[in-house]
Order: sequence, then structure tokens, then C-alpha cells
Amino acid sequence: MARHSVCKVADVAVGALTEVKVGRSPIVLSRLPSGEIRAVGGRCPHQGAALRFGCVSGTTGSDTPNELTYGCEGEILRCPWHGFEFSLRDGLPTTPDSESLTLRLRMYEVEVDGDEVVVVT
Amino acid sequence: MKVLDADVHESFASIKDLAPYLPEPYRGWIAGGAWRGFSQPFAYTSPGLGNRADVRSNDGSASVSDYGLMRDQLLDAYDLSHAVLTGYFYPTGLKLQYGFATALAAAYNDYVAEHWLAKDPRFIGSVQVNARDPEAAAREIDRMAAHPQVRQVLLPVVDDIAYGHPVYRPIFEAADRNRLMVAFHHTTFAQGPYGMGLHYMERHALLPLAMMPQVISLIANGVFDAYPNLRFMILEGGFSWLPHVMWRLDREYRQGRVEVPWIKKLPSQHCRERLRLSTQPTEDISGDQWMKLIDLMGTDDVLVFSTDYPHFDFDDPNAAIPRVLPESTREKILWKNAAEFYGVSDDPRSERSLEAAE
Repeated sequence: MARHSVCKVADVAVGALTEVKVGRSPIVLSRLPSGEIRAVGGRCPHQGAALRFGCVSGTTGSDTPNELTYGCEGEILRCPWHGFEFSLRDGLPTTPDSESLTLRLRMYEVEVDGDEVVVVT
Repeated sequence: MKVLDADVHESFASIKDLAPYLPEPYRGWIAGGAWRGFSQPFAYTSPGLGNRADVRSNDGSASVSDYGLMRDQLLDAYDLSHAVLTGYFYPTGLKLQYGFATALAAAYNDYVAEHWLAKDPRFIGSVQVNARDPEAAAREIDRMAAHPQVRQVLLPVVDDIAYGHPVYRPIFEAADRNRLMVAFHHTTFAQGPYGMGLHYMERHALLPLAMMPQVISLIANGVFDAYPNLRFMILEGGFSWLPHVMWRLDREYRQGRVEVPWIKKLPSQHCRERLRLSTQPTEDISGDQWMKLIDLMGTDDVLVFSTDYPHFDFDDPNAAIPRVLPESTREKILWKNAAEFYGVSDDPRSERSLEAAE
């Protein structure tokens, strides 16, 4: 277990992505609307796109065709290439897995030490 | 090994045979020759025209109106446990005169009930509808669903209908409430993306390209999700394209789910669970290639055998499904998958089995 001070708390905002490097590994950080800071691997688990170019958004729901609801603002990370959606709450995709393709964001433990954001690897 | 044939084309000898089953004024129209029925917009090129050359129809059309001939050449010759009658007279082909088309569908259903279904308990019936009037189609489904041999609604694939469109929901509602399955079959009007091509062989090769959009439309527009008890049968539309469509839809869903969040499962999962495809016309591939395809589909539950009797591209159950396939897989294709789909069991040579499945 290694602890890495990666940026200031003020550098991580709701609805935004902040990329830091731990060694040569990119990690992106975002703050959930609830206040928690999330740190996830900086490459999309699909084809490796740099997630710092992605977007933090909400997502849609529906039980009836052509009637959309929208929610979870600030909790969804979308890949900049294909738009695959992942929840920043748990790193899971919004779509079901298949046997041939399991997609998960790599989630890192985050600690706040004073005004420093610390990522545990 | 039991064989269930999922696609058999019964017909009338003349459209005037429908006159007794029509109300006025349509009875008079048909009896008087005001409409002569659909005419295919191409010439057949096979030795027997649209039929096998050993199945001649009096009018040269791709049809068989003689139950005895079908019994001898198909039901008895191959000892079929069941044959699913799918027709080839699809009033949805009429793009106008909806009341007339709806009446024709009802008349045809009554004609088939009397002249075909009643003659042999091995027959499974399809409800024909005029899909262009979905509410009327739903009423016809409700009416015909009472027939103990009727097991499915047949939706014809024409050149301008993708059945996932919300306007067709009453048809699926009716199939669902009557516990019927839904089958899709091409027509002489079906087209590929650029029409029918310039030759019959092109038109025939393009038929799968009229079927794939139906699967995409049904899933994208939430029909699979809205009716979890409905299952869907693609007849005579090819099957080796299924892995591509499943993979493509899964990718599109992952990247575009925000637009269609009413889809709750991966499209490939929907397909494996509730889509079935009939095998005729089989592509002439080796047993190894069959097994590779089944492996790519991820299940051997999907394929169901059909002959397409009496048409020229008939598949013989003893030849079309290679004997080198594992026994259990071959049994699933020839009988079990379709038997589960249609809810038939055990001793199907009696009416009892069809009724017992109710």
C-alpha cells in the first residue's frame, strides 16, 4: 500500500475531471455532488481512451419508449471516444456485462489529509 | 428424431375461394373479380416456378392448395410431428383500402381454419392480419386466438414497416394477452436497402437484409422489454447474420444507451433468450461451420428447422441439418427449440397434445 499526495482538495470539483499521475499511471479525480472524491484509472477499460477528455454528467432512465428521465448528475463518467457510461459511485457500467466483455473503472481509495488529496495504490 | 417444420405455405386455389368468408361488399368484389390478388413483381426462374417442380399449382403461383398433396409429400413423407402454416397471402401488402385488407385477413383465417387446420392435428396455425390497421389487427388476433391450433401471429415483412414503431403496439399487446408468439416472414414486396436489385437472385439474396432491421427495430423501440413473455420468430430470413447483429447492437447500446434507456438487457441477451430463426434456406456450410456459428451465437437454443414447402428453395430435414452435429443440437434444431416455442409436447399426432398445451 502506497500513499500518494496527488493534488489539492480545491483542485477537484463536482462535474469536472482532474488528471494526476502516480508514477506513469494516469488517474482522474472528480468530486461527487455528495462531497466524496473519486479517483479512477485514467484509461477507459474498453479501448484505453484518456478519460481526462471524457465528461461527467448525469444519465437517463426510462420504462417507456420515448419518455426519458434524467438523474445522477455528477455521478456518471462518459468515455471521450465511444461514450460508454460508468458510475463514479461504484465504477460499474450503466449497461449489463456480457461474458465476452467485462468493463469496470479501476477505483482507487482516496484520503483527504488537510488540503491534500491522497490516493492509495 | 422428431421434426417440427416451422414454415409451411398453404394457400387457396383461387382468391375467389375467399368470397364465402367475406362480408359484403367485399364478397361481391372478390367474387366478381374486382381484385385478382397480389402479383409478384418479378418472374420466378426455378424449374417449378416459385414451387418445387414436383408441386404444381394450377395457376402457376408459388403455392399449394391441395392438402392431400401436402400430406403425402411433406407431413407423412417426413413423418413431421407438426407443421406451422404461415401462408403467403398477406393483406398487409395492400397500402390502401384498409377495411378491405382487414376483411381479407379474417376471411383467409377462416378459410385456413376450415380447409387446412381442421384436416390435420399436426398443423399449427398463424393469425394473419392487416398490420396497417393495428387496432383491427388486434381484434382479429383476439378472435382467432380462441382456435386451439393457433399459436402465433404472423407479421409480414413489407417494404415500409419496421414493427418496433409505437403505432404497432396494439398487435404485440394482443399477441401477449393471448399468449401467442410472433413470427415474421418476407413477402413479394420485401426489399433490401436499395430495393430488390435487378434480378430475382438479387431479390432473394436481399431477404435477410429485410429481416435484420425488424430485429433492430423491435429491440431498439422496447418491444422485447415491454412484453417479456413474447417470443419472436424470424422465418426464412437467414441466420448466420445473427452474431453480427447481436454484437453490433451490444456496441451501439453501450455507447448510445442514454437515448434508449428503456432497453434493460444487452440486445444479445434479448436475442438469445427470445429470438428464434428458422434455418431454411440453409447456407451450404459444413458441420464444423454450423458449430462455429452456434458457438458465436452463444447458444443452440436459437435455430429452428423449416422446409418452406412447397417453395423451390425447400430444405429436406434429412439433408439440410448435417448429421455430424451433436445429437442433442440436431434434436434442438429439428424439434425441441420449436416445440418449446410453440408449447407443444410429446405425442403431437393428436389434437390432445395441442389442447393440453393451452
